[in-house]
Amino acid sequence: MAVLALPELQQSFLVGLLGSEDMALLDLIEGDGLDARARLGIYRHHILTTLTAVLEAAYPVVSALVDRRFFGYAADAFIRRHPPAGPCLGEYGADVPEFLAAFPPCAHLPYLPDVARLEWAVHRAATAPPAAALDREGLRSVDPGRMADVTFTLDPSLSHLASPWPVEKIWRAHQAEGKDLDVDMTAGRVWLEVRATGDGVTVRSIESGRYALRNALGRGMSLGEAIEIALGSHPALNVEVEIRSMLEDNIFSRFTVRAGE
Amino acid sequence: MIDQQPLAGIGLRASHMRELLARRPAVPWVEVHAENYMADARALASLESVRRDYPVSLHGVGLSLGSAGPLDRHHLDRLRGLADIVEPCLVSEHLSWSTSGGAYLNHLLPLPYTLETLGLIAAHVEEVQERLGRRILVENPSSYLRFRHSAMPEAEFLAELTRRTGCGLLCDVNNVYVNAWNVGLDAEAYLAALPAGAIGEIHLAGHVANDADGQTILIDDHGSPVAAPVWRLFERALERFGSRPTLIEWDTDIPELDVLLDEARTAEAFLAAAAPKDGRARAA
Repeated sequence: MAVLALPELQQSFLVGLLGSEDMALLDLIEGDGLDARARLGIYRHHILTTLTAVLEAAYPVVSALVDRRFFGYAADAFIRRHPPAGPCLGEYGADVPEFLAAFPPCAHLPYLPDVARLEWAVHRAATAPPAAALDREGLRSVDPGRMADVTFTLDPSLSHLASPWPVEKIWRAHQAEGKDLDVDMTAGRVWLEVRATGDGVTVRSIESGRYALRNALGRGMSLGEAIEIALGSHPALNVEVEIRSMLEDNIFSRFTVRAGE
Repeated sequence: MIDQQPLAGIGLRASHMRELLARRPAVPWVEVHAENYMADARALASLESVRRDYPVSLHGVGLSLGSAGPLDRHHLDRLRGLADIVEPCLVSEHLSWSTSGGAYLNHLLPLPYTLETLGLIAAHVEEVQERLGRRILVENPSSYLRFRHSAMPEAEFLAELTRRTGCGLLCDVNNVYVNAWNVGLDAEAYLAALPAGAIGEIHLAGHVANDADGQTILIDDHGSPVAAPVWRLFERALERFGSRPTLIEWDTDIPELDVLLDEARTAEAFLAAAAPKDGRARAA
């Protein structure tokens, strides 16, 4: 028996749980009447079933769309390739949409990654810290000539996502109140805003120009840059109305005036 | 305080949170998994409401005290932040590891009980106690394997850890029971080898018998009532340690809240019957 130092033992143990065991590790495990592989298998089984349950709780609609058994199969592959990067399991699973987009067995469900993106946005919204209250007085006192240089921090529960698929309808059809909803897969592109409200999470469809402006601000662009982008794709956008609607919707929690050039 | 007149609490899980807050049942204290409140603002707000009426113990499952690398400082800072908000009556972690090379596995993985491991985990326990500004309890994990190169029994390893760091111990009696079966240790001798004065808390939970390649393995699944032989071992533990704050854990197939409260009342009957001696005063 060649003893492994702790760092090598732990790396070998981890690889053994997610992939295949090496003999140097197996040699260190006392059988006590049971194969060392079977003993490792007990740990592996617990890890995979628990993480699969964590992923299923974050992605219930994806799981329902593909069938629970297939979800378990996909989750197994995901966990082995993307094990948790931290100990808080509520944060685990952000990479699922990209994984599904590249997972060959799901290639015939092109809308699945976008449904997953929507579910992750809902999951994030449900656990996000409350938004700080915007200093409206301070914002009003910004020199009008500098307004274009203002950047905003949005409500941390807020996400914007766009999809060529009717993912909001698909998602809603799997909620308690949406059981009888008809989903028209050819209805065209959707622009969505997801946000924590009260005890729940609201998913709503917004107009594409509004989406362009809010999404650009959410990505950290200044008000001037965001308006330019939004007007570029939506020349008829009423900027004044949009700014008022963002303040009414209370989507900003902080603002900064970017240093001048 | 819960350790002046030791009483039985329950592990509080998300599915019981709403009901506990609505009913405010008579339970002397509750324990939560610290990691469930670090990245979920709504859950934390609920926990703060719980804290207004109940002492709360923080039970960590993610510090990975036994990992060969450095402790995850970010995680330790989060634990400190949570402890500042909750002002817990107890803080505990495990004699185990769960991360290597940046990957975290959601399991309390086994350690070889060597001097190398002892030095490492003692340094980590000291770092945690320093950062939190308080003593922590370290729990004996459930085990499904043991390493051939372990140089000392687990109970002696834990006793030495308390001597080196001043930490306390959380004795999970169900884990002692399942380990006795799974890796062939003597449960009574195990309890006898633990330093009674260091025991700051006891855990009780259910387990299930599974078949692994034709051999029965007891899985510590926290998914059923405490088994009769575990209650008997609990009685032996109380004889040895004196009364200690005791917790009922239930994590899979979680039943109605009342079922947990009933289990806690059963544990309290054992605590009341146990000698009222204070093991700490008699500590070796």
